[in-house]
Amino acid sequence: MEKMGVPAVAIITEAYRDLAKSTAAQRGMPTLRIAYTVHPVWGKTTDQLRALVDGSDPVSERPFMKEIVDALTVPLTPEDQKSGLQAVSMGPETFGPDTTDNLHAYFMNNQMTDYLPIIIPTEAKVEAMLKGTSHKPDEVVGRAGGYKFTVKQVAVNAVMAGCDPSYFPVILAIASTGALALGGSTTSFGYAMVINGPIRDKLNMNYTIGALGPFAQPNATIGRAWSLMGKNLGAGSIPGQTYWGGQGNNLNYNNVVIAEDEKSSPWTSFHVQKGFKPEESVVSVFNGWDMRMGHGAKGAGATDLKFDQQISSMFPTLTRMFNCLVVIDPLTAKLLLDQGYDTKEKLQDWLWKNSAISAKEYRESFLAHVWLYPRALKGEEPYATWWKAPDDQQIPCWPKADDIAIVVTGGQTNAFFQVGNMNYGRSASIDKWM
Amino acid sequence: MKRRQLLSLLGMSPALLTSTQAKDKKHGYDQSAPSVVPAEPKYVALSPKGTPPPVNRFPMAARTIARLDGKTVYLVDTGFFGADLLLQQVAGWFERNMPSVKVVSRKKAGTYPEEDPKLWAEIKANASATIMAVGH
Repeated sequence: MEKMGVPAVAIITEAYRDLAKSTAAQRGMPTLRIAYTVHPVWGKTTDQLRALVDGSDPVSERPFMKEIVDALTVPLTPEDQKSGLQAVSMGPETFGPDTTDNLHAYFMNNQMTDYLPIIIPTEAKVEAMLKGTSHKPDEVVGRAGGYKFTVKQVAVNAVMAGCDPSYFPVILAIASTGALALGGSTTSFGYAMVINGPIRDKLNMNYTIGALGPFAQPNATIGRAWSLMGKNLGAGSIPGQTYWGGQGNNLNYNNVVIAEDEKSSPWTSFHVQKGFKPEESVVSVFNGWDMRMGHGAKGAGATDLKFDQQISSMFPTLTRMFNCLVVIDPLTAKLLLDQGYDTKEKLQDWLWKNSAISAKEYRESFLAHVWLYPRALKGEEPYATWWKAPDDQQIPCWPKADDIAIVVTGGQTNAFFQVGNMNYGRSASIDKWM
Repeated sequence: MKRRQLLSLLGMSPALLTSTQAKDKKHGYDQSAPSVVPAEPKYVALSPKGTPPPVNRFPMAARTIARLDGKTVYLVDTGFFGADLLLQQVAGWFERNMPSVKVVSRKKAGTYPEEDPKLWAEIKANASATIMAVGH
């Protein structure tokens, strides 16, 4: 509004005071006029909201509406009228010399770690990591939120996470997507990645027993490096300033790292579904909320397993803010093959058609007001049509069958699967970063 | 008092000292050795930070009106929880306290990070001022 020449004031709840100030400054208007109200405003009665409007701004302690009227009418100060480019420092390029303990404390106290012990990124260790790629240290790998990061800057984070230099091309491919784990949302995002191709065996990634657990160095540290990159390469993840997830998300410690079991899977590999060749090594990134175990939800008798129904029965519990990721153990995949699902696409299609809810439920879902209706209002299909549907019309959980991503991994000790609120983002070549 | 004198007073043989020292040596700690702690090595660590973009500062819109009376003010709900209901109360306040202000309420289309160019154009054409509520 201000850039368009229209005086504006933002109403922000007091919980977001630091965030509002830092965002305004980053976007070039540090003195943006803001009126604060108590937090939260949602869930309040009409009388309570009226009292807020008739009451005081909890930050300035002046009448709330006077703050608003003044923000729109009081002439600008010289500071309000400043313009032009201003450089922003990233801080010192090196720390020390100091002892390992002191450096570790420094990194931790300056919010550059995940509060678990790190490998101190000395010049020698970073040089060793850089040998894991043929790319030059100062090459820009990716950008996120205006920040850019080089091969060397990514290498520092890979060292801190405990990665072996042979993992470095995977880390660079993740960084090249521009998707940094630990993004900001009050809803506490979590992240997942799927790794396909020969790199899985070259690095001895685990895609058998305990595939998603802490049982292999590459799975553990590649995932951790992604979170450290989220802390350090972009705007950072400082609670209350650049991170505001209400409860946080324990997936953020090392994310969901999935090496697909391409040998045991009866279906096309995930990266091939995305247009890559089987012999290419690829990482695909997802963002969302969570993963949850599914087993025995429906029809899980010894002779009538119905895994298709078990999977689809979990879908209505997922939010429609994200698409869906289904991680299937190879044993479950073989049982689904026996049921007649000889391709992932056939299973995706059945799941999509059998995961519908009524239009009434759809419109009454928690996120409908903030996520689904605004898309309908914009005219985006199928949301616009779905929003107008009769109450009893059945609406699929997601717009398309391939919004349900399916990946196979696990040790075949039990016929398990996991389902999650996870949005496929993009896939990036790992080979490119060798 | 020296340790040998103390042991003699206690009726113990000073030879005990020798055997104690020998025992300590067996465990790798020589009490007779000078207690010098070797200096801990020091390292230089590299910063893990990315490179931030420069900030491009913009001047705010000039406040050319001293009062809102008789002006058009847009109330924009950006889509977060509760913003619409809060803005209804803001509209009510204008009706009660500054009835000459023409209030226009709009909900921004698209999810909250998205721009709404159509609405922005409408505001630019019609509004003297805008109040945006992001709620929560």
